[in-house]
Amino acid sequence: MLQDILQNIISGASIGATYGLVGLGVVFLWLTISRINFANISSAMLGAYLFITFYGMNLGFFLSFVFSVALIALYGLGLRQFIYEPIRKRGGGRLEFVVATLMLCTFWLNLIIVAYGALPRPFPPVFGKSTDFVSIGSIKISVLYLNIYFVIAILMVLIYILLNKTLIGKSFRAAAQNREAAALMGINVKFTTSLSFMMATCVVGIAGILLAPIYFVSVELGGGAIGVKGFASAVLGGLTNPYGTILGGVCLGVLENFSTLYISSTYKDVISFSVLILVLIIKPSGIFNWKSKRV
Amino acid sequence: MKKKIIFGLIGLAVIFLFPIIDNNTYHLYLLNRALIHAILATGLVFLTGFAGQISLGQAGFYAIGAYSSAYFSTRLGLPIFLGIIIGIGISVLAGFLLSIPSFKLKAFFLSLVTIAFGQIINMLVVNLQPITGGPYGFFGIPFYHVGDYMLSFENVFWLLGVILLFTLYIMYKIKHSHYGRAMLAMNSDDVATETCGISTKKLKIAAFGFSAGLAGLAGALYAHLAGFLSPEPFTFFESSNFVAMAVVGGLRDMLGGVVGGIGLTLLPEFLRFGGWENYYLMVTSIIVIVIIIFMPKGLAPLLGNMFKKIFRVKSSNTKTL
Repeated sequence: MLQDILQNIISGASIGATYGLVGLGVVFLWLTISRINFANISSAMLGAYLFITFYGMNLGFFLSFVFSVALIALYGLGLRQFIYEPIRKRGGGRLEFVVATLMLCTFWLNLIIVAYGALPRPFPPVFGKSTDFVSIGSIKISVLYLNIYFVIAILMVLIYILLNKTLIGKSFRAAAQNREAAALMGINVKFTTSLSFMMATCVVGIAGILLAPIYFVSVELGGGAIGVKGFASAVLGGLTNPYGTILGGVCLGVLENFSTLYISSTYKDVISFSVLILVLIIKPSGIFNWKSKRV
Repeated sequence: MKKKIIFGLIGLAVIFLFPIIDNNTYHLYLLNRALIHAILATGLVFLTGFAGQISLGQAGFYAIGAYSSAYFSTRLGLPIFLGIIIGIGISVLAGFLLSIPSFKLKAFFLSLVTIAFGQIINMLVVNLQPITGGPYGFFGIPFYHVGDYMLSFENVFWLLGVILLFTLYIMYKIKHSHYGRAMLAMNSDDVATETCGISTKKLKIAAFGFSAGLAGLAGALYAHLAGFLSPEPFTFFESSNFVAMAVVGGLRDMLGGVVGGIGLTLLPEFLRFGGWENYYLMVTSIIVIVIIIFMPKGLAPLLGNMFKKIFRVKSSNTKTL
């Protein structure tokens, strides 16, 4: 009984952490441009498809990973240059950005269907098979989930170092706090905006690669449900706290796993949607949004 | 002024006679879908353009209208007319419910709540099999008929046209009443409106109710037109299409919903020529993005100006509709 619960917490938390990564994409953009990119989740789908394409060329895990993340970063820059800036220059408001990114989401979905077909593809077992287990005492943990933890831990450390220990991170945090003042202090706000776009798409792209072994490489990765879970975890972190977002995602994943276990699997997605609605109605500033000096 | 009315009437007559000129069944079916989308997009123009609220869950109301009308007219044997009324009623109630978050939330936060609402309704449509038929679909919904007389697609086209005109008339009336002016004020500034002694809560409830009602009406009309329902037309992507229709048409224009709804329904079909079958949906989304970037005000004001220019030659006092 206890080991069931522990196992569920561990697997739920690892999937939840990837939701948190998706939410992180939302947070990075919100911090700098106060807009929500509704094509956020498309980066996850693109990441997964790019990865299997490169992997299919026998480039090996590491190179495929680097190439696909690099391309996703480039896409982030494109997003800024071809969607965000033109709309801003022509006086389009928030709503125009919302609709443009929504249409972008549809566009990528259709592009993937044209290029790869609508059928899900298996993901190469680069993170280990989900049927291989590591036993710790009486608890069995799938190797897959352990590897997901491993990648996310590295990523979080990297993000922490980038944001807190480098000059780039300092200027990013400054621009997030107050754009005008930061610009007056000689911080290149244009650069930090580009950086936030790239970081947002990259993080979600990596989340896509991590989610692919669980959801398969399918258009479902670019569809609504996972995207909404990302939004939900971002909202739990108040849209401003990166670490709170990951924690929110983890809680969401665990909650989802327990509702599958004790209620029904058909309605597990409803949990995260209801969490999203309830948090926004009751505490729109976020639950895991402690006041921190970091960002 | 008289010339304006005459031109308007001639234009309407041409549109209404269209089914007689082109009686290809598929074209007529598409036109009917376009009119239904126009009704729905008009509701969104009202909600977003006039009242300043946003809904990315409009497909949820569309689904509620469609499935309730289908359920009441097919399973319970009520007349179609009553089914549609019930569909609208349930949607309006759901709209009232969805207006509650809008008291506190704005813009992006509100859109997130509405997305979640749309997803929950979609989930219910897929999983409540005894009522909706789930992924297997809902079959045997009666087509429009009066007594024993089955309406043809032409008749339905005229019927939908009249409903759309009626919708626009009501919207025009609301816009030019004090409620409409209060809504426009609320759109520019919530707090200032509240300090003028206008209850923005009531206005938000009304705006959400009205647009949800129109979405429910559109859904019910669609259910009886198609005769078959499956969960596919009620996803998040349809919601985003609907918002795109309203924005492309023009949010601040009375006819924005009509232009956007009809335009975006027919656009993919124009792109569907030989060799392009795979790409037309992609191209459609790109065209929409380009229109939004380069014409943030939408197509309807543009068409209005063209209309003005063409008719100024013939009569100086012609204005846009």
